[in-house]
Amino acid sequence: MIGRILATVVIVGLLGFDFMLPRFEMLQQGRDPVARADAPAAVVVVDEPMPDFTLPDLDGVPVTLSSLQGHRVLLTFERSVDW
Amino acid sequence: MVAYQILCGLMGVAWLVVGASLFSMFFAFHSPGGRSGGLFATMGPQGHYLAAFAGCALITWALLLLAAARRPLEGRAVGTATALGLVLCASYRMVAWVVGDYAAVADLLRIESAVFLTLALGFVWLRPARVEAAT
Repeated sequence: MIGRILATVVIVGLLGFDFMLPRFEMLQQGRDPVARADAPAAVVVVDEPMPDFTLPDLDGVPVTLSSLQGHRVLLTFERSVDW
Repeated sequence: MVAYQILCGLMGVAWLVVGASLFSMFFAFHSPGGRSGGLFATMGPQGHYLAAFAGCALITWALLLLAAARRPLEGRAVGTATALGLVLCASYRMVAWVVGDYAAVADLLRIESAVFLTLALGFVWLRPARVEAAT
């Protein structure tokens, strides 16, 4: 009986974890169509100036590309799981 | 006891169908002009090799479940092992869902996890008790 109760505790705990996982819509936030909808259409051409854009930094403060003029800017693209 | 037999029987049949499908998919893939479609389109030879192995394991699991359905008292341990197997299946599905590389199947991984864990609970509580098996 103790074995059954222990197994039940483990399984119910895992079930609770499963239900607490964020829903699929949350993972959609960083996905392609939403990302495209967030940013206005811009064409990047090699050897031409980058079109200006604004993105939030890690603290949520908006940063505009033009405000970094005179500095070297490295853009990286990483996958995010949104938490 | 009857509920345990029904659970073992239904799951045995389901695993037999899935296992046979995975096993035969390997041969279909390697037949002239053969290729897998849908979610399995990108699996390649290695993926099909592992799928066939999983198919063999599922068929074995299914036959044990069907044996337990026929003789539940002797097949008590099958329920314990099946519950553990289902918990393992649910665990890696949850991790796969969090990783995000399987977004193509959306919430299916979470739903499968929940179903497997619920079935595991069924196997834990419906299998015959040790005393019942001894008499």
